[in-house]
Amino acid sequence: MDRIECQWCKAQNEQSRTSCNTCGAPLDQRNIVSDSGWTEAPRLRDMTEFRFSNSTCQVEGEIVPVAELALAHGDSVFFEHHVMLWKEPNVPMSALNTGGGMKRSLGGMPHVVSVAHGPGRIAFSRDATGELVVLPLHPGMELDVREHAFLVGSHSINYSFVRIKGLANVLHGGSGMYMDRFITHQQPGLVILHGYGNVFQKSLQPGEKILVEPGGFLYKDSEVTMNTVQQNIRTGLLRHNMYLAEMTGPGRVGIQSMYVHHGSE
Amino acid sequence: MSTPEGTSHYTCPYCRMESDGTANSCSSCGAPVDIRLKISHSGWAKQPPIKDMARIRFNRSSCQISGSFVPVAEMNLNGEDSVYFSHHVLLHADTQVRLEALKMGGGWNRILAGMPLIMMQAAGPGHIAFSADHPGETLAIPLRQNQAVDVVEHRFLLATSNVNYQWERSGVWFTTQDGDEQEWHYPIGQMMDRFTAHGAHGLLLLHGPGNTFLRDLDHGQSILVEPGGLIWKDPTVRMHLHFEYPRGQYWFSSARWQAKSMWLRLQGPGRVAIQSVFERPEMVGAVVNSSPATTHYW
Repeated sequence: MDRIECQWCKAQNEQSRTSCNTCGAPLDQRNIVSDSGWTEAPRLRDMTEFRFSNSTCQVEGEIVPVAELALAHGDSVFFEHHVMLWKEPNVPMSALNTGGGMKRSLGGMPHVVSVAHGPGRIAFSRDATGELVVLPLHPGMELDVREHAFLVGSHSINYSFVRIKGLANVLHGGSGMYMDRFITHQQPGLVILHGYGNVFQKSLQPGEKILVEPGGFLYKDSEVTMNTVQQNIRTGLLRHNMYLAEMTGPGRVGIQSMYVHHGSE
Repeated sequence: MSTPEGTSHYTCPYCRMESDGTANSCSSCGAPVDIRLKISHSGWAKQPPIKDMARIRFNRSSCQISGSFVPVAEMNLNGEDSVYFSHHVLLHADTQVRLEALKMGGGWNRILAGMPLIMMQAAGPGHIAFSADHPGETLAIPLRQNQAVDVVEHRFLLATSNVNYQWERSGVWFTTQDGDEQEWHYPIGQMMDRFTAHGAHGLLLLHGPGNTFLRDLDHGQSILVEPGGLIWKDPTVRMHLHFEYPRGQYWFSSARWQAKSMWLRLQGPGRVAIQSVFERPEMVGAVVNSSPATTHYW
């Protein structure tokens, strides 16, 4: 039987489907790619549904989309507690021990990551106009995500955080001191991000470089190295230092077109 | 920017530039060609959003607009072309694009007016992309040689290097009294940007929060707009303040002064553009002094 490959996540789908069963991307639309090679994240249609493990996720709304999960028995998801929009009363909750509490507090990252267990329904959304980016992770993948960008992750994913190298980035860069790191081992997993504004992805070849405004950085494969590049700008007697993130392939890089400051989180 | 003589037959209603009209979008401003012009009964034309991945041609380079919530303007710069921009709108750039500061005078005035102090210049060849930090629309304004537009501060995204950038006082202000202190208010900002194309056609990109509407005012025709809604205007359009005081239950107290409406009167001839998102006007006390203004008591 012929299958359709999703252009976004490469999963195989039955021919009768109009959206990917693994990431929700429309199957009847081609990827939209700019002249320089940035691919728009697929715009998930209202009420699109896709599966992960034994559970399902339905995406609702378009301006600030909501991810509504129907968790099966034995499945669970983790998330920053303030992104929960609603849940059924019988959905059990617990906390994920992330470790490094003091470091996380200093880095402005959530000290407590909550876990919701199935069976039951629970929904998540963030606080500004943007897009959901559904990233199914195959076994053995590592993904780095800017802090406060992930919406929800499935239970099979190992969640940790990594420090961004370079004092300049810590002091001046918009991407903060730490990044969330999501790792899959034997099992596949699912991470859903919320990117502010519109989201674009580019696959860098080995050694290929691109400069990204730190506030626009959203995610990258862990193989992609990120270094801070300083641009000295002089205007008369005034001097200003501008910092850009130099990303070097191989791997995917995701960016967002709007920067939202989370200093109060 | 222009088409061979004799082949032009489509004039874009939004930017008034000519093309052969065979593309899906205007090559000068990116406005869709295949949609009907929407004009409200009162004469406001809705500026249609630039379609995803539409291309705008300028000089030897092109600009591609992508996204819809917070659009990205991705420039493919020729080696002989350059653009300038406020550094905070840069999103990504090829490593070979040359970035440097643009030399500008009047730094102290710019600091006082809250305008971007540092402008950067990007020179080709290579790709470089820009986006604003608010949901809205990218507005592309192609400028004929020596054509100028006045733009409200904080709407500027980028311009080609042959577009001259000047700023001058908006001339729209009023003062109120708070105890012994006099407070100054600038409803459209203390300064206004003027962009003028020199030597050749130029391209100016702005970011308008919400939706954008255009209107052509005849000679002497005037319209009252919320000051925070103005995006840009032709230099021929004059503007001044207009205060209206409601009648009714407010007459006996100072609340009447609080309940006043403050408008910006725009007087033709010329084109004006407004946005549907604007800051809520602050409640202030009685007006003590102002720039030239008209007043009406209902």
